Amino acid sequence: MENTTPQNQSNTTLSNVKPGDTVVSKQAHLPGELPGKKASPMEQNKKPILQIQGLTKNFTNFTAVNNVDLTIYEGEIFALLGSSGCGKSTLLRMLAGFEHPSAGHIILDGEDIVDLPPYKRTLNMMFQSYALFPYMTVRQNIAFGLKQEKLPKDVINERVDKMLKLVHMEEYVDRKPYQLSGGQRQRVALARSLAKEPRLLLLDEPMGALDKKLREQMRLELVDIINSVGVTCLMVTHDQEEAMTMADRIAIMDRGEFVQIGGPREIYENPNCKFSAEFIGSVNMFECTLTTSSLERSIIACNDFERPIELQHDIDIADGMPLSIALRPEKVYISHEEPEEETNWCSGIVENIAYLGDISIYYVRLPSGRIITSTLPNVDRFKVGLPTWDDRVYLSWDPESCIALTF
Amino acid sequence: MAAVTYGSVKRPGSKGHRPPPRFVPAKKISWRERAIILVPYLWMILFFLIPFLIIFKISFSITEIAIPPYSPIITFEEGAMQIILHLENYTNIFTDPDGTYLRSYLKSIQVAAFSTVLCLIIGYPIAWALATSKSATRNILFLLIIMPSWTSFVVRIYAWMTILKRNGIINDILMTLGIIDSPIHMLQTDLAVYIGIVYCYLPYMVLPLFSALMKVDNSLIEAAQDLGCRPIKTFFKALVPQTRSGIIAGSMLVFIPAIGEYVIPELLGGKDSILIGRILWQEFFNNRDWPLASAVAITMLAIMAIPIIWFFKNQRKSGGKA
Repeated sequence: MENTTPQNQSNTTLSNVKPGDTVVSKQAHLPGELPGKKASPMEQNKKPILQIQGLTKNFTNFTAVNNVDLTIYEGEIFALLGSSGCGKSTLLRMLAGFEHPSAGHIILDGEDIVDLPPYKRTLNMMFQSYALFPYMTVRQNIAFGLKQEKLPKDVINERVDKMLKLVHMEEYVDRKPYQLSGGQRQRVALARSLAKEPRLLLLDEPMGALDKKLREQMRLELVDIINSVGVTCLMVTHDQEEAMTMADRIAIMDRGEFVQIGGPREIYENPNCKFSAEFIGSVNMFECTLTTSSLERSIIACNDFERPIELQHDIDIADGMPLSIALRPEKVYISHEEPEEETNWCSGIVENIAYLGDISIYYVRLPSGRIITSTLPNVDRFKVGLPTWDDRVYLSWDPESCIALTF
Repeated sequence: MAAVTYGSVKRPGSKGHRPPPRFVPAKKISWRERAIILVPYLWMILFFLIPFLIIFKISFSITEIAIPPYSPIITFEEGAMQIILHLENYTNIFTDPDGTYLRSYLKSIQVAAFSTVLCLIIGYPIAWALATSKSATRNILFLLIIMPSWTSFVVRIYAWMTILKRNGIINDILMTLGIIDSPIHMLQTDLAVYIGIVYCYLPYMVLPLFSALMKVDNSLIEAAQDLGCRPIKTFFKALVPQTRSGIIAGSMLVFIPAIGEYVIPELLGGKDSILIGRILWQEFFNNRDWPLASAVAITMLAIMAIPIIWFFKNQRKSGGKA
């Protein structure tokens, strides 16, 4: 799996790795703050704006969304993350009112909107294709929603001007959508969906129609605009990087159900199951057996390693039971010297090195035949003494880097 | 091949993007391609342009009892070539004391326009049903729309005569049900003409509408709803603009032939519904006044062509992609 998440840009180097050095952060769009450490909305005493209760959508031969509960708090950016067909789009369309749920409630601002038609819902959506009216100018597109409210003309004009300024599109008022670039179209679409000052903004794959370079730039710009307006935002994406960069909280969805809900950092550092660990970022996953577990120490045996894995907490399963250990590649240290510790390391031969520019990925073959990946930031790439092809290396990790997953 | 350069160069300091240039690569057309293009050209020249020029020529002569029944325009007298253009036919059309010609023009345009609107109102839901149906049902629906045109046009109009006449099916049913006491006079009224035209031309409205509806971007409809449009407003703000090309094409396909329609008003219409097609027939065959009939035909063409050309010109100006 591709792994270019900002997490890899940690300042660890080969020689002086210490556990605390790994800086895992959401891209710092708010300087001086680590958004991953942001207090959760519940802790901030924010009030819930959207509550989804037991929402289900059955199609003729499958269930797209299965009995889902979710609460979204005022002012947060929430991402529904999942691969295609996981039901995230259906969920979004039910919120917008384009699909009628088979069961459940959608409560927006204390009012159940399940039976309201789309045009009566106080939320707006930015479509994946932007859905700008091709026969209207930028101004007409942005004014469209306001005209439906029968607002006086000067109020509409004022609001449209404000929106144009917000998205920096003042110069393009009289253009038709086909005369705009992809990024400009997206801004117009955003302005149009914000013009009505919705209680909740829905974003359907907001970056889906942009190329990679523009995508990275627009992510932060979009977040800035959304934050400056202060609108609560629910986005749907299949791009984990996008979700991690933009969202305050993420829900990982699979087969119509939520697998895990949490902040980007929480989801990355503490996945609650194999699916979530493998879905976000790359991971080395090992099938192991629990040898012993006490309050401070758990010893785990893995067929792939000569040495046991040691964790500094207990695991809530019986001794001798199988479990999985997830290990992020950037938390696997690679060295020529044999570690002194008794546990948490293994040896292998460097099979391959993938150079990705910012990082290199080492593929190390263990005696068992398993390949384990370890990433290394490339600040030290050309330093002498780095492991190279066919070198015998030792891979080690800190006890807290291992995530024990029981399902 | 020469390097392709685009028309617009971004100047330093000029902010933003220019609209993408309309670029048509200068491509050499091979003789093969020319030969293929030539076929439709030949067809149009042989079966449209030449007959048109003949009619145009006849419209400037006067009627004579001869074969052909009109005076030659170009005569040779004593070695000198003489061209005489008679404009009486055109002036007659406009100065006719009864206003027969102008009235029938207006009547034709009125009937054609109203029929077009009726076809649009009836055809749109049909096209919508076609476009949104599953492919299996769609084939059946298509067949139902196209199948009537497998039988002869005249036969179908005669069928309508038996349906609409005094002791026809409709009157019979209504009388037996006791809804009416005496038969309704339907045949030989404008109503019958409208029924006939709408019935015959509906497929020509439905098919372009259908193909336009198939290309509709559904997200625009959802966007309109999302931004607060009720269903009817959504229809006019999101669906109609997207299917504009289909609406125009369908309307043209109904309006233009309906203006010159002869068979339907002749068989279903009353004595008072004198449409331009019937005038043409009378002048050509009853009065044997070929020059006047030609002038009537040319004038009709002009009446139709001018708004259409104006329309398409306008279209291009306001154009862009839509």
